[in-house]
Amino acid sequence: MHSSTRKAAAIMTDVHRRFLQLLMTHGVLEEWEIKRLQKHCYKVHDCNATVEKLEDFINNINSVLESLYIEIKKGVTEDDGRPIYALVNLATTPISKMATDFAENELDLFRKALDLIMDSETGFASSTNILNLVDQLKGKKMRKKEAEQVLQKFAQNKWLIEKEGEFTLHGRAILEMEQYIRETYPDSVKICNICHSLLIQGQSCETCGIRMHLPCVAKYFKSNSEPRCPHCNDYWPHEIPEVFDPEKEREAGISKSNRRSLRSRQH
Amino acid sequence: MPRGQKSKLRAREKRRKARGETQSLSDAQATAAEKGESPSPSSPVLGNTPLSSPAAGSSQKPQRALPSTTAAAAASCTTSDRGAKSQGQENAGSSEASSSTESSSNDPVTREVGMLIYFLLEKYKNKEPIRKAAMLKAVNKKNKKHFPEILKRTSHQLELTFGLHLKEVNPSGQSYTVVSQLDLNDDGSLRGDSECPKNGLLMPLLAMIFLEGNCATEEDIWEFLNILGIYDGRRHLIFGDPRKLITQDLVQEKYLVYQQVYNSDPPRYEFLWGPKAHAEISKMKVLEFLAKVNETVPSAFPFHYEEALRDQEERARARAAARPGVKPSDAKPHS
Repeated sequence: MHSSTRKAAAIMTDVHRRFLQLLMTHGVLEEWEIKRLQKHCYKVHDCNATVEKLEDFINNINSVLESLYIEIKKGVTEDDGRPIYALVNLATTPISKMATDFAENELDLFRKALDLIMDSETGFASSTNILNLVDQLKGKKMRKKEAEQVLQKFAQNKWLIEKEGEFTLHGRAILEMEQYIRETYPDSVKICNICHSLLIQGQSCETCGIRMHLPCVAKYFKSNSEPRCPHCNDYWPHEIPEVFDPEKEREAGISKSNRRSLRSRQH
Repeated sequence: MPRGQKSKLRAREKRRKARGETQSLSDAQATAAEKGESPSPSSPVLGNTPLSSPAAGSSQKPQRALPSTTAAAAASCTTSDRGAKSQGQENAGSSEASSSTESSSNDPVTREVGMLIYFLLEKYKNKEPIRKAAMLKAVNKKNKKHFPEILKRTSHQLELTFGLHLKEVNPSGQSYTVVSQLDLNDDGSLRGDSECPKNGLLMPLLAMIFLEGNCATEEDIWEFLNILGIYDGRRHLIFGDPRKLITQDLVQEKYLVYQQVYNSDPPRYEFLWGPKAHAEISKMKVLEFLAKVNETVPSAFPFHYEEALRDQEERARARAAARPGVKPSDAKPHS
């Protein structure tokens, strides 16, 4: 028996298997969702056991997945710093991953959008600019109207995010495609000065040009009244965002739902 | 004078090769660079050829000491742990596959297994059937001769690690599907195989009823139980009072239905699956149990295999439709 199968046999229980199946089905999950998923799997299969700490639980599973070049990867959304998790394949390029969901011309539209995103200063590509490339697509001819729908499909499937008519990469896409992007766009890839990961959206120093993710900015400059560039020490000119706090998030969610139920009662 | 396209491409290949030597995926990448194709399950048409140049309009960007950026990235990757972190915002180094101590991870068959497994996971996620030809295409050309071995190990790993089963849809072996062995049921009442003695008997009973066309007479059931050493009126060491167990206990728990045969005089009785059995246990699972017991495969019972497959499809459809937030159009498979 291979050592990998021995390890799997030793670690994997139905709790872990169900967890993997459901994680795969959902694609990408936020931290609170994945915690809930873990609890659910325990409840279904092994309600007497104590729920293992999420980090250890995931590390255990990853040690089994390692030999398959698959990993439960944790990332952070670039705009508001939410932790997200996805099951990623480290051995293949991700566009082929999308191939099961999209047609050839749709994949090519995605590549074109990715080109524009990588080339832009802000990490965003306008819908107009993407749609103008519709004639250059491989495969079946696509009209602009169709292309608009396809872009929406990308957003729904969490490959792209749309903000006021512009598109950038979803956290999930960055999680899955970091290696691919680094290899495909070695000249235009941007890196965060703090965490050294791929950067699509972020803030940049106007003097020396280094870039930082918004959540990295939030952490680095937390409670710092005079934020200065870590590289050239010049005054940091941008608004410092707040650090993501899952507790505040939950409270906001509860008060939102209270407001909603109040509204319905008023009818 | 801006660098020509060819020299850019050559430089890119050189960088990739250099990086490749430091990673345990080096074999895959080196061959990919040589052959100009990547180790991926996509068809050649969809391709993974790196785009040769950014979209028009880009100025010649300064090299920005790219080697140092990748070096920095690589450094942070090697020092960071793989897997999830509770703090911090590092993506676990994606470019580092592993500092795996397992020698098997460098063996090409193992890599293909990983590739094929992910391909099948995607198919499972989309609830799509899989053609054998598609699986063959997913495997790197030079490893095709190992395909039977790859398929066997893939199937085994799929079960062991993910609790998923790669099944033949029809006996000709050209079409497959991936299904969960865990019977994804959200009411949380799924039981393990041998959690209590009742279940030890339940499976055989359900199997018997299924074999008899979903309805078995009481005589048949007792004949069957006698083979197992369980007799009407005789107290059993494990199951206690067998009559009470099958006509009362399991009925109360809704695993069995015990009813009078229509218009029978003198009254005779029959057993059917109860609603809880239908909810918790699939016909496929029961068939697998039968197959295991008889040391054969589910498809050896072709008629019941068909029925079990149909049952599975219906369940999958019902599950997909019942998922919150799923629009009915999403439940349909993509063409």
